[in-house]
Amino acid sequence: MRYIPNTEEQKRGMLKDIGVSSFEDLIESIPQSIRLKEKLNIPEAISESESEEKIYHIAQKNSNFFLMKPLVGAGAYRHYIPEAEKFLLQREEFWTCYTPYQPELSQGTLQSIFEYQTYISRLIKMEVVIPSIYDGASATAEAALMSLRLTHKNKIIVSNLLHPHYRETVKTYLSPHEPEIIDLPYKKGLVDLEKLKTLIDEDVASVIIQSPNFFGGIEKLAEISETVHSKGALVISVIVESMSLGILKAPGEMGADIVTGNAQSFGMDLNYGGPYNAYLATKKQYIRQLPGRIVGETVDVDGKRVFVMTLRAREQDIRRERATSNICTNHNLNVTAANIFLSLIGTEGLYQISLLNTKSAHYLENLLLKSRKFERVFDYPFYNEFLLKSKDDISVINKKLLENNFIPPLKICEFYPNENLKNALLFAVTEVLSRDDLNKVAKILSE
Amino acid sequence: MKLIFEKSIKGRDGYSLPRDLFKEIKIEDCLPEYSISKDKKLLSEVSEVDVIRHFTKLSKLNYGLDDGFYPLGSCTMKYNPKINEKLASLSNFIYAHPLAPEETVQGSLEIIYDLNKLLCEITGMDEYTMTPAAGAHGELTGILIMRKYFVDREDKRHKMLIPDSAHGTNPASAAMGGFQVVEVKSNERGTVDLTELAKLMNKDTVGLMLTNPNTVGLYDEGIKDIEKIVHGKGGLLYYDGANLNASLGIIRPGDAGFDVVHLNLHKTFSTPHGGGGPGAGVIGVKKDLIPYLPTPIVAFNSDQKKYYLSDVGEKSIGMVRAFWSNFPVLIKTYVWILSMGPDGLYNTSETSIINANYVLTKLKKYYKPAYDRYCGHECTVTGKEYKKYGIKTLDIAKRLMDYGMHPPTIYFPHFEPYAEETIMVEPPESESKEMLDKFIEIMIKISNEAKTNPELLTTAPHITPIRRVNDALAVRRAILTYDDELKLKDELKYQDKDINF
Repeated sequence: MRYIPNTEEQKRGMLKDIGVSSFEDLIESIPQSIRLKEKLNIPEAISESESEEKIYHIAQKNSNFFLMKPLVGAGAYRHYIPEAEKFLLQREEFWTCYTPYQPELSQGTLQSIFEYQTYISRLIKMEVVIPSIYDGASATAEAALMSLRLTHKNKIIVSNLLHPHYRETVKTYLSPHEPEIIDLPYKKGLVDLEKLKTLIDEDVASVIIQSPNFFGGIEKLAEISETVHSKGALVISVIVESMSLGILKAPGEMGADIVTGNAQSFGMDLNYGGPYNAYLATKKQYIRQLPGRIVGETVDVDGKRVFVMTLRAREQDIRRERATSNICTNHNLNVTAANIFLSLIGTEGLYQISLLNTKSAHYLENLLLKSRKFERVFDYPFYNEFLLKSKDDISVINKKLLENNFIPPLKICEFYPNENLKNALLFAVTEVLSRDDLNKVAKILSE
Repeated sequence: MKLIFEKSIKGRDGYSLPRDLFKEIKIEDCLPEYSISKDKKLLSEVSEVDVIRHFTKLSKLNYGLDDGFYPLGSCTMKYNPKINEKLASLSNFIYAHPLAPEETVQGSLEIIYDLNKLLCEITGMDEYTMTPAAGAHGELTGILIMRKYFVDREDKRHKMLIPDSAHGTNPASAAMGGFQVVEVKSNERGTVDLTELAKLMNKDTVGLMLTNPNTVGLYDEGIKDIEKIVHGKGGLLYYDGANLNASLGIIRPGDAGFDVVHLNLHKTFSTPHGGGGPGAGVIGVKKDLIPYLPTPIVAFNSDQKKYYLSDVGEKSIGMVRAFWSNFPVLIKTYVWILSMGPDGLYNTSETSIINANYVLTKLKKYYKPAYDRYCGHECTVTGKEYKKYGIKTLDIAKRLMDYGMHPPTIYFPHFEPYAEETIMVEPPESESKEMLDKFIEIMIKISNEAKTNPELLTTAPHITPIRRVNDALAVRRAILTYDDELKLKDELKYQDKDINF
């Protein structure tokens, strides 16, 4: 076997050196009665060329996704990823190494994480950034748990316009602690601020708000924060499309106490849902309750500036059941990817892509409204996702889009079944859709 | 090394924007004033060439598995086959949106469905969820499944038994799952003390989380009694699959009576670690627990010959993340299993067990084993004999770096009096006898150096890109971003040689 260098003869020699007559002697502590009697019932080994052929065939059962541009986002956004990032990421030194426990052999990974922490800190204007939780949903759940620990309260208010998967994940993570979780309803596509004022009281640990929200709407986070803080609760601000940070105001400027963000847009492929990555950030005063790993700067014995995993006394391998979280292996390679991506696009690139995504989304909305086949569900400011109600059957619309090589927009009723959103679609637009593409979409949908 | 920010030149760019920027549209007409950032967020301004050179140089400060021996115990740093990477990056897979219609992702769904079947056969379980993103994420998922199972039966169990040798994630996951952790002591053989277990296992106890072979690398020979004790009191058995590399084709956790199993696909199943993930921590369960799996799972409609995402139902613990899985990790696992076949999987475990026992045999004269018995796929020795020379295990580990090797796991597991100053070596099947002999030779050399020239060890490493770091200072000063550093510029006073290497 090409991945197992030792030959049968070498193994026999090693067994002799060990001082046993057979391999059986080494595993005598495994009771015979529960051992496998026959070999595993799985297909016999195939060669490398056979495996390549097999997987290519299976891949053909998917659509040709390179050519299929998404009109759907809802937590996963296709952006262009420069080849330089993909090329660098494949260096085995990043790809095959372990968690950087040994700083002398891991400065590449450690410095890259430190740079990324800096980027995210600047984008969201928060002091401390945990670079890598698995994804936005689990990071938001960790933030919710963190808010319970910080406030010693057991009640959380969650915006109904938080991504439905994120809401579900928060509920799952919190279930053992039996907190009271209150749904904050929306009004006209944004959270109902008046309702929030009636729901919030001194027993609330935190309020979780996504902006841009699941419908793409931009929340008035500063006003929300004021209300939340007036009762001593914490604001957890969730960003699902991080590219929006290029143009939108940072949550740190609008009163957020904890920020979580899905970083998928920063150079990660869609990959049918993962692996993505999320950051979790807060103020320095809350540092001890942070979950997950963080990198800090220090010096080595020669006085060199170096980087190291730090503030580790919170973590599971040291604190065990008293740790702030169980998280261990996370999504560090995605951090390296995001760091390379942000370095490539730079200050101006991020601003321009964010600007372009806003403009082209509004361009498409305008075209669709003009076709008179669609109308707005709500009048609300949005970034690059928007909700439109169709006069035609949305299943027919989506079929037409699919036939024309577009991944159709989301039927919002799949996530909001009880609401008056039956024939509404949630569109997302990024820079991978050109003006020609958008004109084509509008044409298909006007017919 | 210089940070990317220290290479930034105003006006430089490393990205090509689309030509059409929709300039006729005014941003003020799209967004309300209150939402727009007043200033541009500052990243860095570097060219593509700068980025390539910066990250290539950074990469050279890392040590990867393809550089050489990487014997981290309980981490299973085995070779990551290159064909798997290529097949996981086919464009029909990587550009697939998670909310694309099911008819467009039949290939992806087929892989998830087939892999489920293969893993069930390999481990003797009835159904897997591919959702969890990492081992600890799988643990939490598994624990929530156990919790829901008992809640459904109105059984108010609230304690979880965990051996003292367990990974830190076990107690941390159990605590996140709302359980009180009760530690089970190991016996003089390094395995679970059955008398103690029988005493602790009662109707308040959910069950036991067990790694087998455990973190010392020892098979628990009492596994049948353990199963009887835990199930006898109505509890469930949880299998931490971190060490499955010793069991393939030999013993299946399902046959040993485990009810919930997590597998680290980035360990036993050859997918790369990426400097700390992404991996995947899939969870397998027995039939009774299937209704509690996180939703959705992939199912097959045999009438329509179509794979689909199936809602698990109202008993499900719910979702533990957004979307479905770390999909490329699943493809790599799938290809690896197909490339190995049943004989290759057996060969994997057989070779890794022989490798570990070979290292143990050759080292035990120089480094006292934690327990003097045959081990599984990893062996635990100690450096405590060298304390009298002023040498800690840490010094031995650092000295190994000077010889071009990554150190083994150190100081874990730790339980006195057997396992102190531990050195846990896991030489997976992808390491050759020649590599092991070289490692053994170096370890013996270091043992001599410890006695004759201990300073060589206490000041090691010497030839790595940087040398030992001041951890305490990192905590005390807490510089967590470049902007934190800039605020302390006057105090830090780095010279060029300190940042430009």
